[in-house]
Amino acid sequence: MRVKLKSGRDQRKFIARIEELSGENVFACYQCGRCSAGCPMASEMDLLPNQIIRLVQMGLDEDVLRSKTLFLCASCFTCESRCPKGIDMARVMEAVRHILDPKGKDAFGPGEISPELAQELPQQVLVSIFRKFSK
Amino acid sequence: MRVHYYPGCTLKQKTTALDISTREAMKRLDIELVEPEGWSCCGAEYPLTEEKIVGLAAPIRVLRQVREEGGDVLVTTCSFCFAVLKRADKAVKDDPLKRKRVNAYLRDDIQIDPLTKERTTGFEDYNGEVKVLHLLEYLRDRVGYPKIRERLKRNLKGLAIAPYYGCRVLRPQKEMAVDEPDSPRLFEEFLEAVGCAAVDYPFKQECCGSYISVSLPAAATEASYRILRSARMNGAKAVAVTCPLCFYNMDHRQEAIKETFLDFPGLPVVFFTQLLAWALGVDKSVLGLGEHRVPADDLFSETPATEVRT
Ligand code: SF4
Ligand code: SF4
Repeated sequence: MRVKLKSGRDQRKFIARIEELSGENVFACYQCGRCSAGCPMASEMDLLPNQIIRLVQMGLDEDVLRSKTLFLCASCFTCESRCPKGIDMARVMEAVRHILDPKGKDAFGPGEISPELAQELPQQVLVSIFRKFSK
Repeated sequence: MRVHYYPGCTLKQKTTALDISTREAMKRLDIELVEPEGWSCCGAEYPLTEEKIVGLAAPIRVLRQVREEGGDVLVTTCSFCFAVLKRADKAVKDDPLKRKRVNAYLRDDIQIDPLTKERTTGFEDYNGEVKVLHLLEYLRDRVGYPKIRERLKRNLKGLAIAPYYGCRVLRPQKEMAVDEPDSPRLFEEFLEAVGCAAVDYPFKQECCGSYISVSLPAAATEASYRILRSARMNGAKAVAVTCPLCFYNMDHRQEAIKETFLDFPGLPVVFFTQLLAWALGVDKSVLGLGEHRVPADDLFSETPATEVRT
């Protein structure tokens, strides 16, 4: 993957904000890749979990904020249980979703569920997906 | 024995099989289940950022109510409820700032007595007085497998069942810690206690696709297929689950799984409480088997209650 490096106040602010929101030390990551190896959604992702955290370390907010990966993470915490540094990637993903433009479009909104489907889905999944993917 | 029980919203509305089989089984064990007065949805997702304190309010309100009613244990079966309640309780115990903020938010909460219509407000802070236990833990630690074995009325003759933990019961390991995240025994021991044989297979703690089954069904279809196929290949006659969403993804969506993966012939999915209730002698008609899309009736076929294997 090719990235253009930047360094400045915005980058430092982005990193600090992710760390503050997630409570995780993103610089503890040494890119072993175990998080991505065990991730059940990896095959659908444009950026793998370890790539997300690497881009966060470099403060490349734009690349992270436009990644589809943010809306593919199932918060299954497999990465957390495998990470040798104890990093909880699901928290990093949630922190990034938190700072997305609050006026932006919902990544997944109620309009995308048909009334028939809504009838058969367990309540918990409706509460869950809107908490994760809509504003 | 009497214990507080939190069914959660899904068990009340859709996945009643999990609720009714739990109630039937507990009756057979002489355990009275008490629902905390005025409970609400727990929120399904534990807030994963440091700033979403409001997500702690619903679960803490439920736990505080259990304490107000004199309870010190809250039992739940749904993995999502379990994770939210347990993690919220831990956050309040471990983090003084979160404790202060969530209690400040909930202090002026108003509770209305359903009989007298009396209003109560100005609650004492909740400081983590209630222990949240998954029913599997409660059965192991508080009821005990010997008592379950004593009460068995049916011999399940070592029926091969694949225990499926899913994501929320074991992880994040820092907070959930009900068992080893990579080699758990909790579910296996339970299955053995009720007379089943626990099938060992590598996908027992993999993710079924969770809520992604709504936004990207194909991804959940594949994730659930991997679990079901592995269970079947290892000789399981069914997969046992604790979570309504795992059940939905693997049972209700199994038709889609079979259409996508033609090598997969199908496998029933059951709730652990259905196996427990059945082994304890509960009638088949009250196990909620009508809710299954993949027929599970054959697993619950009458066998003479002779010698029970221990
Ligand atoms: S497992 Fe942990 S240390 Fe390894 S790449 Fe992923 S986040 Fe970094
Ligand atoms: S929590 Fe998200 S990133 Fe981590 S393994 Fe699960 S789906 Fe992948």
